[in-house]
Amino acid sequence: MLEFRSVSFGFDDVGVLEDVSLSIPDGEFVVLAGANGSGKTTLLRHCNGLLSPDEGTVLVDGTSVEDDVIGARTSVGMVFQHPRDQFVAATVGDDVAFGPANLGLGREEIDRRVAEALGAVNLRGREDERIDRLSGGEQSRVAIAGALAMEPTHLVLDEPFTGLDEPARRSVVGRLEALAADGTGILLATHDLRDVLGLADRVIAMADGRVVVDDRPDRALEELDGLPVRVPRARADLEERC
Amino acid sequence: MLTYEPGETVVHDLDPRSKLAVQIGFAATALAHTAPRALLGLSVVTAVVLALARVPVVRTLYAYRFALVILALGPLVAAATLGPPWIDLEAGLATALASYRVLLILLVSAAYVRTTPVRESRAAIQRTVPGKPGQLLGIGVALVFRFLPVVQSDLRTIRDASAARLGTERSARERATTIGLLGLSRTFDRADRLSLALRARCFSWNPTLPALAFARRDAPTLGVAVALLLTAFL
Amino acid sequence: MATEQGDVDLVDGDVVHAFARAALLATLLGAVAPIAIPIPFSPAPITLQVLFVFLAGLLLGPLWGTVSILLYLAAGAIGLPVFAGMAGGLGVLVGDSAGYLWSYPLAAGLIGLLVHRGTDLRDPAEVSTPLVVVALVTATVLIYGMGVGYMAWLLELELWEAITVGALPFIPGEVLKIAAAVAIVESGRIDTV
Repeated sequence: MLEFRSVSFGFDDVGVLEDVSLSIPDGEFVVLAGANGSGKTTLLRHCNGLLSPDEGTVLVDGTSVEDDVIGARTSVGMVFQHPRDQFVAATVGDDVAFGPANLGLGREEIDRRVAEALGAVNLRGREDERIDRLSGGEQSRVAIAGALAMEPTHLVLDEPFTGLDEPARRSVVGRLEALAADGTGILLATHDLRDVLGLADRVIAMADGRVVVDDRPDRALEELDGLPVRVPRARADLEERC
Repeated sequence: MLTYEPGETVVHDLDPRSKLAVQIGFAATALAHTAPRALLGLSVVTAVVLALARVPVVRTLYAYRFALVILALGPLVAAATLGPPWIDLEAGLATALASYRVLLILLVSAAYVRTTPVRESRAAIQRTVPGKPGQLLGIGVALVFRFLPVVQSDLRTIRDASAARLGTERSARERATTIGLLGLSRTFDRADRLSLALRARCFSWNPTLPALAFARRDAPTLGVAVALLLTAFL
Repeated sequence: MATEQGDVDLVDGDVVHAFARAALLATLLGAVAPIAIPIPFSPAPITLQVLFVFLAGLLLGPLWGTVSILLYLAAGAIGLPVFAGMAGGLGVLVGDSAGYLWSYPLAAGLIGLLVHRGTDLRDPAEVSTPLVVVALVTATVLIYGMGVGYMAWLLELELWEAITVGALPFIPGEVLKIAAAVAIVESGRIDTV
C-alpha cells in the first residue's frame, strides 16, 4: 500500500505539490496523467524518498518513507525517463545485479533475481550483451528489470515511452500488462494515454500540484475534458477497447 | 585501438590481481635498470608474456604510437648538441636504452588490457582497495566504461552541429569553449539523472562484491611478480 | 516492508550526486582524448584534456575534482581507451607522459583549493577573474613541471631537452585553454555541485 497523507512540497524544477492525499492498494494499475510541470514527477519522487515532503507523510505499507528509506526503495521500484542514463554497468546482467548487490544479498540469490527479472521483460539469457548495442525498447526493458530485481510490490514509471518508436512502445506496454497480471502494482506517469488507459484500474490527473481527477478510467476521461491535461487520442482508444 | 578480447589463453584465465602484480613488478624493475644486460632479460620476459597472451604486436605498437613518437624523438634530442661535435652519441645511447625499457613496460601492460574484461578489473579494485575509496573507484570505473560510448556520441553531435554552423572557420579558442561548454552541460545533465537512478537502486557502501577467486595457477604468477619486484633492488 | 536489509549503508544523496558528476566528467575527459584542434604557429595541435582538468577543479572543487581525475586514471590503467591516442594500460601511468597524467589530480585539487578555499563550493562565476587565472596558470606550471621533470628523469634527458620536447610546442595551446576555461565558468551556464 502506497499512501500520501496531506503532502505538500515547495520547490523542485519538475513541479510542486499542494496537499496531496492518495492511497494506492497493492496490485492496482494506476495511470497518472498531467502536463509537464503539473507535479507528476515530484509526486513519484516522494514514493521512495528521493524527495521528502515539506508537510505531510508518505507511507509505504504503513511505514513512513523517512523512517525506512531502504524499505521504501526496495518496495517501490522506480524507472525514470531516459533509460540510457540509468545504467551503471556496460552489460545487461551486471546492470540488473546492481540493486540486489547493494542490498548485500548472496551471489546465488542475486543471480536468481537477475534471471527472473530478465525473464519478466522477455530478455532471459541476454546477461552478457552490451547495453549500448540494444534497441531503445530493449534498453527500457532492461531498466525495468533493474527495478524488478529489487522484488518491489509497486513499480513506478515516469514517462517510460519518451523517445520510443511504436513497436518498442508496444513491447514495453505488453510487459507492464503481464507484470500487472502477476500482481505487481503499477503507477505509470505519462501524458500519452493511448492503449495504457485500457489496462488501468484507475486514472489520477494532476494540475498545478493538485490531484484534480481520481476515478475509474471511463469516468475519469469525461472529467479530464476542460482540464489542462493533454489526452491525445485517448478517447478513441478507450472506445475501441470497451 | 587496444581493448579486451575474449580468448582461451592461460593469461585470460589468471586472476586480474596476479596480472596487476606482474605488471607492477615488471615496471618497478624496468624503471630501476637501463643496463643492456638487464634490458635483454626484460625483453625475454616481455616476449614470453606477449606470446602467452597472444598479443598482436604491430597493432599494439600502433595503439601506443603517441608514446612511440616521444620515445623515438628522445634519443635524437639527447644526441644533438649545440656546437661541435654536434652529436653526442653517448647521451643519445643512454636515452635510447631508457626509452626502450618504457616500450617494454607498455607492451607488458598491453597483455593485461587484452586479456582482462573491465568487470574483472572492477572486481579486483573493489576487493583490493579497502572501504569507501574502493567502492567509489570500482563503481566509478564501471561508470566510465558504461558511459564512454554515450559521451563520445554526444561529442560527435556537438562537433557536427558546430561544424555545420561554419564552426571550422571560427577561432580555436571559440571551438574549445563551445566543445567544453556544451560537452560539460550535457554530461552534467546525464550525471544528475544517473544520480537519481543510483539512489533509487540503493547505491550503498557495502554491497555484495563481484565474485573473484585466486586459483592454483595464480601461485606461480604471483611468484614471478615477487621475483621481478626483488630484481628492482639488484 | 522488508527489514532484513537493516545493515545496508546507503551512500548519502549529496555524495551520490557529486560522485555521478565526477564519474561522468572523468568519462568526458577520456572521450575528448582523440579530439585535436590545430592552432597557428605551433607544430602541436591542442588536445582538450587539460581544459577538462581545469573544469574539474573549477566546477567540482578540490575533493570531487581530484576524485574525478583519479577515476580517469584508474579507468585508463585497467585498459579503457582514454589516454592520448585512445591508448590505455597501466604502463602509460609510468611511461613518458606519466608525469603529466599524475599531475592532473593534483592540478584539479590545487585549482579547487585556490578558487573555492575549501570543500564548500562557491559559484566560480562569482570569483574574481584574476584569481581564476592565477589558479589556472599555477596549475599549468605544476602540470608542465611534473610532466617535463619526470620525462627528463625517465628518458635520461637534460632538463632543457625535455622542455623542448615536452613543453615549448604546447604553450600557445595552454594560453588558449585557460581563456576557454575562464569563458566557460563566467558564462554561468553550468552550476556547481
